[in-house]
Order: sequence, then C-alpha cells, then structure tokens
Amino acid sequence: MRIDRRFLLRGTFQGALAVMGLPFLDCFLDSKGEVLGATGRPLPTRFNTFFYGLGLTNQLWIPKTGGKDYEITTQLKPLEPYRAKMNVFSGLRVPLDDNPNYQHWSGAAAAVTGISPTKTQEFNSKTIDQQIADVISRGARFKSISAAAAGDPKQSYSSLGGPNAIPAEASPLSLYTRLFGPGFQDPTKGDWKPDPQVMIQQSVLSAVADNRRRVMQNLGAADRTRMDQYFTSVREAELQMAAQLQRPEIQAKVTIPAAPPDMVCNSSLLNLRKSTPLMARLGALALATDQTRVFNLSVSEPTSAIFMPGDPLGYHNTTHEEPIDPALGYQPRVAQYNVDVMELFALLLKELDGIPEGDGTVLDHSLVFAFTDQSYARIHAVDGLPIFVAGGASGRMKTGYHVAGDSSPVSRVGLTIQRAMGVPAEVWGKGSMEVRQPYTDLLT
Amino acid sequence: MRRLTQQEYRNSIADIFGKEIEVRGSFEPMIRVGGLQAASTSVLSVTPFGFESFTNMADSIAIQVTGEKYRAKLPCVPKATKEPDDACTAQILSQYGRMLYRRPLTSDEIQSAVNLSHGLAESQSDFYAGLRYGLGSLLQAPDFVFRMETAVPAGGMQWALDPYSRATRLSYLMWDSTPDEELIQAAEKGELNTAAGLEKQVDRLMTSPRLDIGMRTFFNDMLELDTFDTVSKDSILYPKWSSGIAASAKEETLRTAIDLALHENGDMRDLMTTRKTFLNRSLAADYQLPFPFKGEWMPYEFPADSGRSGILTQASMLAMFSHPGRSSPTKRGVAVMDIFLCEPTPPPPANVDFSVVNNTSGPLKTVRERLMAHATNGSCASCHNHSDPIGLSLEGFDTIGQRRIMENGIPIDVSATIKGKHFVGAEGLGQFLHDDPKYPACLARKVYSYSRGENSEEVSASAFKAAYKSFADSGFRMRSLLKAMVEDKDYFSAPAPIPETISPSAQ
Repeated sequence: MRIDRRFLLRGTFQGALAVMGLPFLDCFLDSKGEVLGATGRPLPTRFNTFFYGLGLTNQLWIPKTGGKDYEITTQLKPLEPYRAKMNVFSGLRVPLDDNPNYQHWSGAAAAVTGISPTKTQEFNSKTIDQQIADVISRGARFKSISAAAAGDPKQSYSSLGGPNAIPAEASPLSLYTRLFGPGFQDPTKGDWKPDPQVMIQQSVLSAVADNRRRVMQNLGAADRTRMDQYFTSVREAELQMAAQLQRPEIQAKVTIPAAPPDMVCNSSLLNLRKSTPLMARLGALALATDQTRVFNLSVSEPTSAIFMPGDPLGYHNTTHEEPIDPALGYQPRVAQYNVDVMELFALLLKELDGIPEGDGTVLDHSLVFAFTDQSYARIHAVDGLPIFVAGGASGRMKTGYHVAGDSSPVSRVGLTIQRAMGVPAEVWGKGSMEVRQPYTDLLT
Repeated sequence: MRRLTQQEYRNSIADIFGKEIEVRGSFEPMIRVGGLQAASTSVLSVTPFGFESFTNMADSIAIQVTGEKYRAKLPCVPKATKEPDDACTAQILSQYGRMLYRRPLTSDEIQSAVNLSHGLAESQSDFYAGLRYGLGSLLQAPDFVFRMETAVPAGGMQWALDPYSRATRLSYLMWDSTPDEELIQAAEKGELNTAAGLEKQVDRLMTSPRLDIGMRTFFNDMLELDTFDTVSKDSILYPKWSSGIAASAKEETLRTAIDLALHENGDMRDLMTTRKTFLNRSLAADYQLPFPFKGEWMPYEFPADSGRSGILTQASMLAMFSHPGRSSPTKRGVAVMDIFLCEPTPPPPANVDFSVVNNTSGPLKTVRERLMAHATNGSCASCHNHSDPIGLSLEGFDTIGQRRIMENGIPIDVSATIKGKHFVGAEGLGQFLHDDPKYPACLARKVYSYSRGENSEEVSASAFKAAYKSFADSGFRMRSLLKAMVEDKDYFSAPAPIPETISPSAQ
C-alpha cells in the first residue's frame, strides 16, 4: 500500500482534515494489524567517501605491479586486511585545462566532481556522493550524513556545488545525536511504529512549501537560485519524513549503543585515533539500520592540520619544509604521517566490514571512495592522486586489483563508481576529464 | 536576500519571544567573502542539513511558546482549549509573524497559517497544538530565515529599499537582531524615508546599550575571531593552552574593541597601539602575569616595557594566526594585510619547493633567516616582502601569545622595514599601522560591506566616501562612521528589481 501524502494533506487546507482525524496509524498496518514493511527487497547498496589531506609518498605507496597479485607496499600496509575487498588506483591524471592549480583544492575537486574547479574552496557541481544520493537515498531517513573526525564542521567535501557545502557532524556525540537521538525509531527493536508526529510535521512542511510561488516572485536570478535550493531542501525534508513512516528493512544484527562521551575533537593525531573509529562505527550502524545510505567521513582539511603532539611543524608544514632525505629519497616524517592517515582509513573499513548482514558485511554491500587533494604535497602536484575504492557494491564491483598507471583521468574512477552504484551515467566529468568509458573490467 | 546568521537567529528569537525560550540546534557554518562572513549571507542558501535544523528548531521554539508556562504571555486566550479558535490564532500569529517576517503579514499569509492551525487543533482536540504548528510554519518560512530586501521606486529612475527593509538593515547592523516595535512602527508610518525620521531612529538605536551587541558581532566577524573555535595547540609543547584560555582571549579582544569604539568613544587608530585591555584569571596565566584581581574580568594596562601594543599583540590574534606548535610570521603578516589593510594576499604559486625554507636543524636557525630565503625566489618575494616584515615584527610572541626574546638559542630580531619605513617590534608595527591611512579606510570599508552583506573587495570607495569623511573629521570615532554611513542619501539605494521571469522549473 502506498500512501499519497499530498492526498492526505489536501484536507488540511480545507480545514477538514478528514484523513488526519482517523486513527491514522491504521494506514500503516496490514489486515492483521501488523506493521507493514519487510517486502523482501534486496538491501540497498551504500556509498561512502573518505577524505584525507596531503596524499601519500609515491615511492612508498604505489605497488610495483598492477593487477591482482601486487605486492603490498609500506604505506598500504594498514589496508592489507581489506586488500581483497578494495581497488587501488595509481597514475591517474588530473588535467586542469585552463584553470589554475588551486593548491590543496583542485585535486580534491577533480576527484570528487570530475571537474577542474574555477574557484578555490568551491566545487563546480554537486559532489559525487550527492549525485549518488539523488538516486539511491529515496526511502532513507537521511539523504546523506557527513562527519569530520577533526572537529570542524567545515571539513566536509560533500557539496551541492558553489558555496553550499553540506556541514559535517563534528564530534561522535553530535553524530550520534543526529542519527540515534530524538526522532530515531530503532528498527532493531520489535515494537517499531510510525510516529504520528511525523505526519503532522509533514503537513507543516507542506504549508511552508506552499510559499514557493509567492516568495520566488521579484527575486533576481542569483537569489532565485538560492531560494530554489531552499525549497529543494524543504522537499528533501518532506521525503525524509515520508521515509520515517516506513520501517527500515535491515538484515544486520546490531544494537544501537549508548551515546558516546563528549570528547575533544581536533587535529591532534592522538585525538583523531579516538574520534575516527567512533564516527566510523556510528556511520556503519547508520548504514546497517538504513538511517542513511550515504556516509562521508573526513579526517582533515586538504591543508591537513593534523599534528602529532610535540611536532611543532605538523603534517602540512612538514610536507613543505622537511628536506628530502638524500639516502631514502623521500621525506621521512611526511611518510610517517601518510601511514598514520592510512591507519585512520583502515579504521573506517574495519567498522564497515565488522557488521555482518545477509550474505556478507556492510562493506560488501557498499562502495567507499577514498580521495585526497595532492599526489605530492611538497610541490602541490595533482597528477597521480592516490585513490582507493573499497567494497563490492553488492557484487557489482570486482575488487582486489591495483589499477596501475594507465593515465586515465581521475574522473574515470568516478564514472565507474556511478555505474557500480546503479546510477545511469553515460558520461562524467568536464573538459579533459570528461569520460565515457568506465573501468569495465572492474564491473560485473 | 541574506540568510540569517546563527547569532541573528538567536537574538531575534530572544527579542520576539523572550530570553527564556531556548534555541537548541546547529547552524550551517558560514564562509568568508572579502574577509567577512556577513558577505556570505548574501550567497549562501539553505542545504537539506540546514533546513533540517531550522525545522527542528522551529518546532522546539513553537512547543515552548505554546507550552503551559508561556501561555499567559500570549495576547489572547482561546474560547475553549480543546477546539480551534481562529480569531485568537490569527491575533497571535499576526502579532508574532510581524516580528518574525519584519513586516506585517498579508491576509493570505495569516489565513494559510490559521487554516493549518485550525485543522490540526481539530484533529488533536487541542487549541495550543494547532497553534504550535501554525507558529512552527512561520518560524521555518523563508521570510524568517532569510532577510528579504524589497526595492521600491524612489523617484526618477532610482530604486530604494522599502521602509521595512530599511528598518531590518538598521536593526541587524546596530543590534544584530530583528527590528523592535518602535522601529517597525517608524517604518509603517514612513518615517524612515525622511531624513529627520531616520535620524531619530538611528540616534535611538545608537544610544541604546544594545549597540554593543551589534558592534561585537561586527568586530567578531572583521577580526575573524570565529576562526578561534577550531584553533588547536600542541598539548606537549604548550600544555598551558586550554579551551578556557582560547575563549577568554576572544572575549578580551572583543572587550578591547568595544570599549575603545563605544564606551570611550576613542580614536579607532588606537586599536593598534593601546596597552589597555581586560583580563581574567586564565588569560593572566597565559600572559605570565600575577593575577591579583578578584573579579572575573578586570581592566588592565600592560606596562610600557611589556612589548604589547594594540590588539595585534593580544593572545587571540597571535595564537589564531600561528601553527599548533609554532608561530608563523607569514600567517600573521597575511592576516594583518587582509584584516586591517584590506590587501588580501594571493595564494602562493602552486609549484614551489618550500623545503629549503624551513629546516630548523639546518644552518638557518631563526624563522627570519628561513623566511629570507624566500627573497631569492622572485615569485615568492613579491608577496612575502609585503607580509613578512609585519609578521617578523611580531616574532617576540610565541604561538600562544607569550613574550619571548630567543629562538633556538639566538636572540630574535624584530626589526622590519615596510615602504621605506623602518621600525622595531610590535610597538613599531602598531605605530606604523596607526599612522597608515589605509587602516581606517579599510575599517570603514569593512563596516560598510558588513552592513550591506557585500564583498568588501568589490565595494567601490565612493560608496562610503561621505561616511569615511565624517569618520576622519571626527578623529576616527566609530559612532561618527556608523551614523554618517546609514544617514547617507545613497545608503538604502537598491538595484531595480528584475521583471519576473520564473523559469518553468521554478514553478
């Protein structure tokens, strides 16, 4: 049974409220009085991003050979437990065409939009997670969720384009509260019921949305675009509420833990090692309980402020200021930070892979796109960004490969991801990064 | 059209419903455009995250306002609490709606909210439940979460803001909040369109102690003090630093600025040289001062030999523009150029090898020596020669703002030369900025851009020429600048509205 919300709400404005007047929970019960749901639909495939600033050290991360039997490298060591469940991409090109190389920005923007940005700190289109969310998130309570382990809500690389970034939850506690605080109805419990409040709030949103035509009048073009975004957000909220009227289908056996303690979240590596696994765990639980299907986690900004207490330089300055060790041929302290960050990435994969559901784990039913801003931070190089795609996308993505130095634009990864996620994209990216050919060998 | 900031939202709710109404929720972060967050309110929209927050806050506020405790304050009592009462609902919603929308509601707007309330009051058998949702619908409407500015013909080919938009702009500038009853009434009567009527209201707003709130918000924005919320310091190298010190340092700077600008009616150039400040216990620890005072905040004047001079030598500015474990002359220099001189520094060229520049274990021991290595590179030198001398003169203070005279065993040289003028240390820098006409001109530019939500880099100097003249003539008094600016004949001018061409997708 499908409920036409508009039909229900129409009554509101005639002051009649015939439908609302009914004990309307009945709408959601079948003839035996049991809550509708459990339609036997397959689990949705989920999408995650992981952002880390400053890239890696080429000599230490790129496996010597491509294909399946590559030898694990020093900097990939933390990811070794998941090598069979992920793909490693090296040698990807980031052609910026006529745009400047906005340091610590252009590379990240290229990876996540397939477009060379024309402005720093802004993306020229929706980011890939939002493009995918537009297709896969219908029916989930949150269209997407972003979290920033270093405590800054601005460290979000999920955006509607232009200045409108989606803010990140900046502590495990705030992430928990958003996901599992007020308004959360636990689908792991037997007594799940739709909340009557939700329908009432829908009628309020409907009244707000009815302002549209009036408000849009007399706005200049730029303001009209902004107001259009506002009303799109109203619409998203309506959909979000509609989703809350249906019991999420879940296969994972999980219990929602108690709220995490309030803690200091900043760029200190020691604190990141505490906040990252907590946030990753909450994200994984949100996916497993279908609160959201898109989860974005960042551990730093592109100009990573990560520091190990006692190091006066910190990660970013070290990349620029540490001399190359003549014997080693690279910057040793930078290399250590690189590994530290890969360990944080591994923590996300660990949590996703740690939740069994159906015939696999949440990771198996997801894709995780890990990207960064520079390939060689010391000189702000972007060609050869280290990119990882983990998870099997419910069997649609083959994993375990090192896709080595084929000189494709980085956007080819984005297109491949879209296909694996079931997004019918024929083409992705712009200018020299416009691609039509995904990595078909990786798709099943 | 400007999106309400977090502070504007909170202040407006407090003024409309009273301070007892709690506002719980998170706001979307802002970005800086031309050095001001205020300018981003003219470009940012509301993302689904932001709207989710607005809708939750709206309901939470509406629950409180229609709750048992608050009801006595509402302007009417329903005939029966279990039934709709459209007359009473309309009275309540039009009263609060007028404050929320900063203009009277149209009859259609009232009717729509009353209908919503009516239906829900009926289905819930509860007048106040219905009222809750009607009020909630106003609290999340675009007319509240955005400050709409409406232009009307102003004679000839000119257009100008309508009276309500004028009242709104004045009120958020001066008080950082929604117009009060008297100001809305002045708008209603057309008084804000006459010079005398405008002056009367401007004087009233400016003599109120609430001007402090408005100007605090301005200085917080201009001085980028919000950045401080995410500044972290290395806990091993600087164990003394704490979030308490950070919050106090921010407060110290705001108090200094407000005291000079409003309470002392002082010369704003003195912001660069004054040794007068305000301290509390945790700040005294940061400044390595004994703390003899009893009160939480006490006025304090640094001694002449302290090396302190103006707000640039306060812990906030010194710590904000530094690294977690180290001071940064470049960050400090770039910040001074940007914040006080309106000369933003372009980003460094992308392909630069910095590794020679800053190796403390190599032969270049001090930051100065390492920075000077930039001068060998032409493309670096063009910018670093501007910003570095400023930052180097502040090297007598470490990353948490403590005084120091040695770095890695070598005395720190805090001399600098800018535009042929040689000076030494923070006092020299303070005096240099005090005497540089670019600084007060930049301050006027920022106030103007802040109040109009415009990119300060795109505002032409002629737009605030008259205001600047009054500012200078008064000996750089903030009040003269504000008054002259908002009473300027062009301050409320607006571009002509674009004829309606709503695209099919927007229908």
